[in-house]
Amino acid sequence: MVDPMPPQRPAILIENLTKRYGSGPTAVDALKGVDMQIFPGEVVGLIGPSGSGKTTLLKCLGAVIEPTSGRFTLAGDVIYDNAWKRKDLRALRRDRIGFVFQAPYLIPFLNATDNVALLPMLAGVDNAVARKTAVDMLTALDVQHRAHARVSELSGGEQQRVAIARALANKPPIILADEPTAPLDSERALGVVRILHRLAHEFQTAIIVVTHDEKIIPTFKRIYQIRDGRTYEEAGEGREV
Amino acid sequence: MINLAGRDVGNHLGRYVLTGVGLGLLIGVTLTMAGVYRGMVDDAKVLLRAVHADVWVVQQDTLGPFAEPSSLQDDVYRSLLGLPGVAEAGNVAYLTMQVKHDGKDMRVMIAGYTPGSLGGPAFLVAGRPIAQSHYEAVADVKTGLAVGDRIRIRRHEFAVVGLTRRMVSSGGDPMVFIPLKDAQEAQFLKDNESIVNDRQRLAVNPAVNRPGQPGVLQAVEAIQTASHRVNAVLVRVREGFDARQVADHIQRWKHLTAYTTSDMEDVLVAKLIATAAKQIALFLVILAIVSAAIVAFIIYTMTMGKIKEIAVLKLIGTRDRTIAAMILQEALGLGVIGFFVGKFAATLWVPVFPKHVLLETTDAVAAFAITLVICSLASVLAIRAALNIDPAEAISG
Ligand SMILES: Nc1ncnc2c1ncn2[C@@H]1O[C@H](COP(=O)(O)OP(=O)(O)OP(=O)(O)O)[C@@H](O)[C@H]1O
Ligand SMILES: [Mg+2]
Repeated sequence: MVDPMPPQRPAILIENLTKRYGSGPTAVDALKGVDMQIFPGEVVGLIGPSGSGKTTLLKCLGAVIEPTSGRFTLAGDVIYDNAWKRKDLRALRRDRIGFVFQAPYLIPFLNATDNVALLPMLAGVDNAVARKTAVDMLTALDVQHRAHARVSELSGGEQQRVAIARALANKPPIILADEPTAPLDSERALGVVRILHRLAHEFQTAIIVVTHDEKIIPTFKRIYQIRDGRTYEEAGEGREV
Repeated sequence: MINLAGRDVGNHLGRYVLTGVGLGLLIGVTLTMAGVYRGMVDDAKVLLRAVHADVWVVQQDTLGPFAEPSSLQDDVYRSLLGLPGVAEAGNVAYLTMQVKHDGKDMRVMIAGYTPGSLGGPAFLVAGRPIAQSHYEAVADVKTGLAVGDRIRIRRHEFAVVGLTRRMVSSGGDPMVFIPLKDAQEAQFLKDNESIVNDRQRLAVNPAVNRPGQPGVLQAVEAIQTASHRVNAVLVRVREGFDARQVADHIQRWKHLTAYTTSDMEDVLVAKLIATAAKQIALFLVILAIVSAAIVAFIIYTMTMGKIKEIAVLKLIGTRDRTIAAMILQEALGLGVIGFFVGKFAATLWVPVFPKHVLLETTDAVAAFAITLVICSLASVLAIRAALNIDPAEAISG
């Protein structure tokens, strides 16, 4: 599979982003100046030692916590420029960002389909249409046979695939994945990464994958190393999965 | 949009319903308390209405005969009959006492009236009215007596000839109607020892026991032992006359106090059961507060058990409104289950109560509304906590 040349406008553009937790002598500078750009359809690896600020960066991009300074844009829209430039961050998250975490965090009182359908429903989509979208997503992730199962009845890998389906349900231009393969065996981990690559290609989604997993690091064409709060770009192997 | 509350509840339905049932029992107690109060008021009113009097004449400046002792000469009724507007007047005597049946004591309110005149039982459910002027009784079914039973009141045996229903004192004691003369005797008759004692005192009193005039001693003895007092005179007003006016008239001319039936209702409800009512009202307030605290605690705990889910919901863009609605609906759901369980439980256990408990629909409707208000207020705490949950909680690691 050969990716097309990255188009001109990056899906995510981060310039000199910093994040300081707390203040005074106990303050932690988790991000000290991050620069990144990720283009639509691209899957980028984000690697670094524990405590280097990977999760912090995803939280900032996901508008879950407020950065301290710097600037980032999503598809050309300035989201943060030393201050939030958007008022409704929840709607921003709902419509433009998909989250995949290490633990899938599905809503236990909804079945697999409704966990996925909830996102379009929150965006105001009619229930039936939202469920159809959900089933399509579950089919794309090959868990459609578990569509009506309760969360507690799904295996870890199935839960993770449902979580990815949820992240994709509103076709967000960006997916932020924080160690999505950590709880999976290497076979399934590769399976999930294959899905992410395929979806990036299919929907032109920009995907950042935080990982420690030696097996999947070689699948990225581009990798950002994060060390001591700063990012360093590296070329990846871009190995076929 | 999916109903999140419905799904969440459905996910642990058993626990939720059990919680609702627990709350329901508490609501049941509250409804019953309200019913006890209504029952007391109702008993008082039923008694007054059943007696069929328009005006109650009692000793001057008393709230008698139920709320205060009242004693009248038993010929007062004759002078009342001469007043304009008075159609009928009848003496009555009331006393609460123990009577014996089958060797067992029971507490009843004896009502003495002149058979054929005012003050008798309003209706019978079995047997016949009192026909003789002595030693016959009509009892409320709550006494457990049957027609043909014999009861002992003081020194005399009475035959139960009829049964009536819903005739109880405001203290909850079932009534037993007997002829006035018997009631007077039971009420005012001295026991043998004091009669003997009085006789001896009279016998040694030279002013009464004069030599050569034995009749004087006997006459005085007769006056002392016989009773000519009653507790109240009931008056029925002639057609076309106003009870209020007749009562005022009696009061003005006869050195007596006269109440219309609605005055008497006020006396009973405002004076006699006022303290009990306050007691119950306070109890109801405490129950409401306890229920509110319990609902608040349950809802809060339920919400805190969903911190992760709520964080995820916020992370994926769920509005505060939607989350608040979920919590509120769960709280209201508990209230609804609780109310119906409570209503059902109250209906089940009320017949076991010894006193009349009246579950009124209006009270139930009010209780339902109050339950919903309490549940809404109780969920405020949980909603505030939920809205403070940081969506970042969903991302850890
Ligand atoms: N809420 C917080 N308050 C204070 N310090 C924090 C907070 N969250 C993270 N940190 C600190 O910021 C630094 C970066 O944390 P972060 O979670 O981003 O690391 P990470 O790269 O994701 O690590 P890991 O690989 O272990 O998940 C760490 O030193 C951490 O202790
Ligand atoms: Mg992390």
